[in-house]
Amino acid sequence: MTRQAARVGLIAPFIAVLFAAALGALALQRYSAERHRATATAFVTHLAQWYAEQGPAGSQALARDSRVRFAAIATRTQAGAYPYLHDLRFTAHTVDARAGEALWPILEDDRAVALAVTRSGVTHLPNGAWRAAVRAPGSDGERSVAVIETQPLSPIAVPWWGLAASCLAAFALWLDVVRRWPGRGAAPLLAAALSAGAILTPLGMRLLAVDATEVGTTLGSADLRGAALMLAAAVAAPLTLLGVLAARRGSGPSPHRWAYAYIAPAMVGLGVLVVVPFIFGVVMSFHERAGGDWRWVGASHYVDILAATGRRLWEPMSFYFTLAVTVLWTLVNVALHASIGLALALLLARPTLRFKAVYRVLLIVPWAVPSYITALVWKGMFNQQYGLVNHLLGVLGLAPVSWFASFWAAFAANVTTNTWLGFPFMLVVSLGALQSIPADLYEAAEVDGATRWQQFRHITLPLLRPALVPALLLGSVWTFNMFNVIYLVSGGQPGHATDILVTEAYRLAFEQDRYGYAAAWSVLIFVVLLAWGFVTRRAGEDDEPSPAAGGGAH
Amino acid sequence: MRRLLPHLVLLVATVVALFPVAWVVKMALRSSQTFSTSLSPWPDEVSLVQFETLFADPVFWRQVLNSVVVASATTAVGVFLACTAAYAFSRYRFPGRRAGLQVLLVTQMFPGTLMMIPLYRLIESMGLLDRALGLVLVYSTTAIPFCVWQLKGWFDTLPKELEESAIMDGAGPLTLFWRIILPLSRPAIAVTALFSFMTAWNEYVLAATFMGDERAYTLPVRVQSYVGAYTTEWGLFAAGAVVVSLPVMALFFVLQRHLVGGLTAGGVKG
Repeated sequence: MTRQAARVGLIAPFIAVLFAAALGALALQRYSAERHRATATAFVTHLAQWYAEQGPAGSQALARDSRVRFAAIATRTQAGAYPYLHDLRFTAHTVDARAGEALWPILEDDRAVALAVTRSGVTHLPNGAWRAAVRAPGSDGERSVAVIETQPLSPIAVPWWGLAASCLAAFALWLDVVRRWPGRGAAPLLAAALSAGAILTPLGMRLLAVDATEVGTTLGSADLRGAALMLAAAVAAPLTLLGVLAARRGSGPSPHRWAYAYIAPAMVGLGVLVVVPFIFGVVMSFHERAGGDWRWVGASHYVDILAATGRRLWEPMSFYFTLAVTVLWTLVNVALHASIGLALALLLARPTLRFKAVYRVLLIVPWAVPSYITALVWKGMFNQQYGLVNHLLGVLGLAPVSWFASFWAAFAANVTTNTWLGFPFMLVVSLGALQSIPADLYEAAEVDGATRWQQFRHITLPLLRPALVPALLLGSVWTFNMFNVIYLVSGGQPGHATDILVTEAYRLAFEQDRYGYAAAWSVLIFVVLLAWGFVTRRAGEDDEPSPAAGGGAH
Repeated sequence: MRRLLPHLVLLVATVVALFPVAWVVKMALRSSQTFSTSLSPWPDEVSLVQFETLFADPVFWRQVLNSVVVASATTAVGVFLACTAAYAFSRYRFPGRRAGLQVLLVTQMFPGTLMMIPLYRLIESMGLLDRALGLVLVYSTTAIPFCVWQLKGWFDTLPKELEESAIMDGAGPLTLFWRIILPLSRPAIAVTALFSFMTAWNEYVLAATFMGDERAYTLPVRVQSYVGAYTTEWGLFAAGAVVVSLPVMALFFVLQRHLVGGLTAGGVKG
């Protein structure tokens, strides 16, 4: 009886999710139809007007129409106003106002032949298409009427395959619950992830379909609904996943109810604003933007990047060169941060040191300064003509250096800036760790006659490790992706040589408008970091504060 | 000599650490817009012209308000989300816990350049461009992973006996969290709040992308606007930089006692 109730309790959320998904799909269809209507009305009217103004000459120029031509007109006349143009197909013709006959058939497959159109307006045809007819106030009287007709519109396809995957997920879960599933565990997870991806991806591409450069595009309430729907899907996905995980234990969600309740807000937030954009980014990397349209190009961006198409394998702006610079940059910085931070912390941790608090406060000041300000100030300091660094070199009797003219000088300038910026974090981490090392260990070591170096080597370092290793790993990821310093200090000079992977990706996207290529480049950055994460996972895991390390409380 | 050497090293480090900061202050106190070229970091003149120019602009105050709203809301939302999640990760053993923690780490590796266009579209489609709320949402979620790890480390060090005895006294899960755990975690929460605040207060790239209207700028965008491609108004830039940096510095000084303990609590208590 109760077991049965438990099973019903497990299945119910999934039925609810499926129900919600179906509702969402219907809402999506309605929303998409409405959006089509709005876009079609505006575009068709506009086009018809333009077309009627052109008269015979203009219309003949369009005789071999294709959507491309109309798109070109639209772009020329009102860039970005018809973002969903690629969904619409048009036929167009003009008719003689008096005879009501077609004068200049525009399209070869001109299905909707001369309808006697006598007044302007946009009408909804029974087959679901929209038609606009505009009278042209030509010089020879009201002679020509332009008629533009859309083909029957197919609204956004509901991701039925996504819903099917959801059903599969629910079914796998059910099998899991009754324990007759051979591949228990992995299957429901996979299915849930699949369904989430299937639902999210088409929606995401719809949203992305708008020209990313058109900042001024205004969106109506229909788009808000679309976004709300997408958010709902994004919320449902992690919840489904959690539900599946909970049910996998076969014990039902109740024992872990509180745990899930506690993590849900953060996870939903992460899902919507971090994971969803990430997925869209990955999808983008398989597309290329052409005339406001996202075109599927498969893995060709990845091939281009990895084969360094158009440039040598080893030169600035090639992926490999940039990767090498990035790795060098990360290693040098992390080494400097850690050694300087640790050295200063060791000095500050001396029990007999005076003015300890003053030093500590003053040494963390660089941390409090926003990094872009730091970067800009240091850039000024490295200026060849008026910069302080060259001034200082002059005082010391050295020749001024043109800091951004050679790779190593520019690299050194970047590293100097980032070291100044980053050592306080390591200092504070080391200091905290040092303070927690019991003093009697050192006393015992001194009794045994250990030298200072031996004490450092065998007491300090091993005990610092649990605190330092996670900080180093985190620091390495941060440095790897440190955008501000590179972009603002050297700016990649000379000739992109000092650019690291992220700054190069930013240039590709926002200076060269190669969004798809930049997205693929960014995905590769992520893959590199992920690989680094796997390599260091063992180190990280050892140092995750394990239950045993938490004061034996667990 | 043995006693002086540490002081010598620390003094040099302090001078290096403070020099660029002193430099900015010096430039902010000059009346010209050029970059100062003398080596001394001491102000060669004390003029408040730059600050007066800045403060006389009503739009500037509007931008200060934006920054304050964005940063405080981010702190509130971020700390709330991080506290609850970290508590669950620390105290409960539930299916998906390890995966969740790994996901948090992995999100730290997402390159910002990949996220920017989708985020822009997302924020745009929610109608939140030029609105503080858009930035708050983005900042508070991007700050979550680090804050959760940070707080989890602290929660792990709190003895579980406290909660066990509270349960004996009839406390529910919510009471435990609110009355026992949170009050004991003030230092760690303070540090987490500081980081959330800094993330929001100092962030430039996303703010510049999402905020097209000058009245919607946050302070970093305003300060950056003085740095042109060919000329830079160093005086106004420096004055703006001082204004931006002061609140964070003040917070650092207030919280620096907690900073050392709060940041490393998790890993080291053996």
